[in-house]
Amino acid sequence: MLTLKGITKIFRGHFLDSISRKRGLFTALDGLSFTLGEGEAVGLLGANGSGKTTSLRVIMGFTKADRGEVLFDSKLGPMGRDFRQNVGFLPERPYFYPDLTGRDFLCFMGALNGMSRKGIRKSIIEWSERFKIDFALDSKIKIYSKGMLQRIGLCSALLHNPKLLILDEPLSGLDPIGRKELKDAIREVNRQGKTVFFSTHIIQDVEEICEKVIFIEKGKLLYEGAIDKLMTSGESFYEFKISKRSVGKNFEWNGNTLELEDFLIITVSGEDRLAFLKKLIDKEIDIESIVPIRSSLEEIFYKVKNREGRICL
Amino acid sequence: MFVTCKDHKILTVAYYTFQALLKSRVLFHIILIGLLLLFISFVAGEFAFGIAERVVLDFGLGTLSLSTMAISILMGAGLISDEIESRTIYMTLSRPISRVSFLLGKSLGMGFLLISNVVISSSLTLGFYIYLGGELNPLIFWNILYTILEALICLFIVMLFSLVANKALSVIFTFFLYLSGHAVNDEFIEKFSLSSPMGFLLEKYHYLFPGFHKLNIKNFLLYQKDLEFNFLLKTLGYGFFYLLALVLLVCFVFERKDLD
Ligand SMILES: Nc1ncnc2c1ncn2[C@@H]1O[C@H](COP(=O)(O)OP(=O)(O)OP(=O)(O)O)[C@@H](O)[C@H]1O
Ligand SMILES: [Mg+2]
Repeated sequence: MLTLKGITKIFRGHFLDSISRKRGLFTALDGLSFTLGEGEAVGLLGANGSGKTTSLRVIMGFTKADRGEVLFDSKLGPMGRDFRQNVGFLPERPYFYPDLTGRDFLCFMGALNGMSRKGIRKSIIEWSERFKIDFALDSKIKIYSKGMLQRIGLCSALLHNPKLLILDEPLSGLDPIGRKELKDAIREVNRQGKTVFFSTHIIQDVEEICEKVIFIEKGKLLYEGAIDKLMTSGESFYEFKISKRSVGKNFEWNGNTLELEDFLIITVSGEDRLAFLKKLIDKEIDIESIVPIRSSLEEIFYKVKNREGRICL
Repeated sequence: MFVTCKDHKILTVAYYTFQALLKSRVLFHIILIGLLLLFISFVAGEFAFGIAERVVLDFGLGTLSLSTMAISILMGAGLISDEIESRTIYMTLSRPISRVSFLLGKSLGMGFLLISNVVISSSLTLGFYIYLGGELNPLIFWNILYTILEALICLFIVMLFSLVANKALSVIFTFFLYLSGHAVNDEFIEKFSLSSPMGFLLEKYHYLFPGFHKLNIKNFLLYQKDLEFNFLLKTLGYGFFYLLALVLLVCFVFERKDLD
């Protein structure tokens, strides 16, 4: 669908750059290359300031890269046709013409995509109901809340039935229910065959939606591949919550223990988990829950990075 | 007609730009101010003996020119730069539309607003002028046409500045160019000898900067002097080609601008 080849973007910024050691130049993207396959759902993962937004802007042609190129599949339009016809884009913290109503705005966007009036009307009904924004379509965008802006932005990104969806932090600013709805919607359009590419700094979001992840740090590619592999790489831990009463005197284990009023929480490494579980069953100890410990972005980051800053799995 | 897909998109942008401007109620305020000024000119006309209609015309066309220029400069400064700042531009430019079409569409929408202002204010003034017994003179319409041209030139100058500088500075620069374009006329230049550095510079002034004074024919109009058709046409041509060059320059700069 889309390939980035050695994209480098240097900003004439104002802070000290660790790479070029020159004041005033800042390398936001450093030889970034990756590929999106057709029909994939891919998460672009990275900490704040790692270059996610910048790379999406380069893809959309808003900023020009200093080096490298972005290649679009011919499926996004035959040679010479505008790839944007088949791309739906949602910028970070989207904002729209405040004096237009939601409906006007969507009609505007549809018209730019060359849709017919009838097609626009049908699409507006479909997506605004899907994202529960239909009640506000006739008010000015000025009075929309943050979540409503995000929702109308998503409607506009999906309005023209694009083949590729590029979303910059689509889940930020939404309440838990909104996040769930949106994740479901993203999964659904992906199942319908649309390629989805979205940025986030929350690893769980990627885990819930995508099979594939692209992990960047300081504008460099750290990891590109299956998300499971990244999550399960290195050491993993499990938290066992067991009833205190059922624990006998002569029960021994090695692992971190936290004592609560009625329960004990014991952290066991991934290798020992089966042996530990067996022990619990043998001694007939009540198990309240077993929870795998999710690594945070930082933990995974340190886990996967070796001295040269390359990923080793 | 050459209505291609691209033209169609320019019109789409223009339509919604105009819609947004209308809904932001600028036009409403413009009409309100227009009526207020008309009332003032009516009062002024009452006090001027015998030549009331001329006072109304003078005052009406003068305020028309000033208000159109003010709208053009003040609102033109944010026309593109506000979109970049508020990131609404990402929404439009992520659609299949070229930057140039987008820019032309935005300017056209703004142009509609300027022309609406001109039409509303000038019909009020002219209605009143005729009511007071004034005679219609073709120069009145030439004057109105030049006002529109002047406003469009100001619009593109301020847009050009706003692509490379901040909004406040753009407004100040453009306003300065507007004033000096009127001040540096032939009589003014004649005051300096050509051999002096100042005279030399002033003589070259209009090679680069807009000669707004050329578009100002109000004095001929008020004192019922005639102007040759050829002269009027040449002036129109000057304004038109100056505008065209500016449009090309703004498109060139915008096409190359990093939107971040
Ligand atoms: N116009 C600019 N001029 C100078 N530096 C910039 C500019 N835009 C971005 N940067 C820098 O480039 C780096 C990457 O920014 P970017 O917005 O891509 O990060 P991000 O991964 O999207 O972060 P976040 O999660 O906070 O959205 C940051 O350090 C930022 O300061
Ligand atoms: Mg970002």
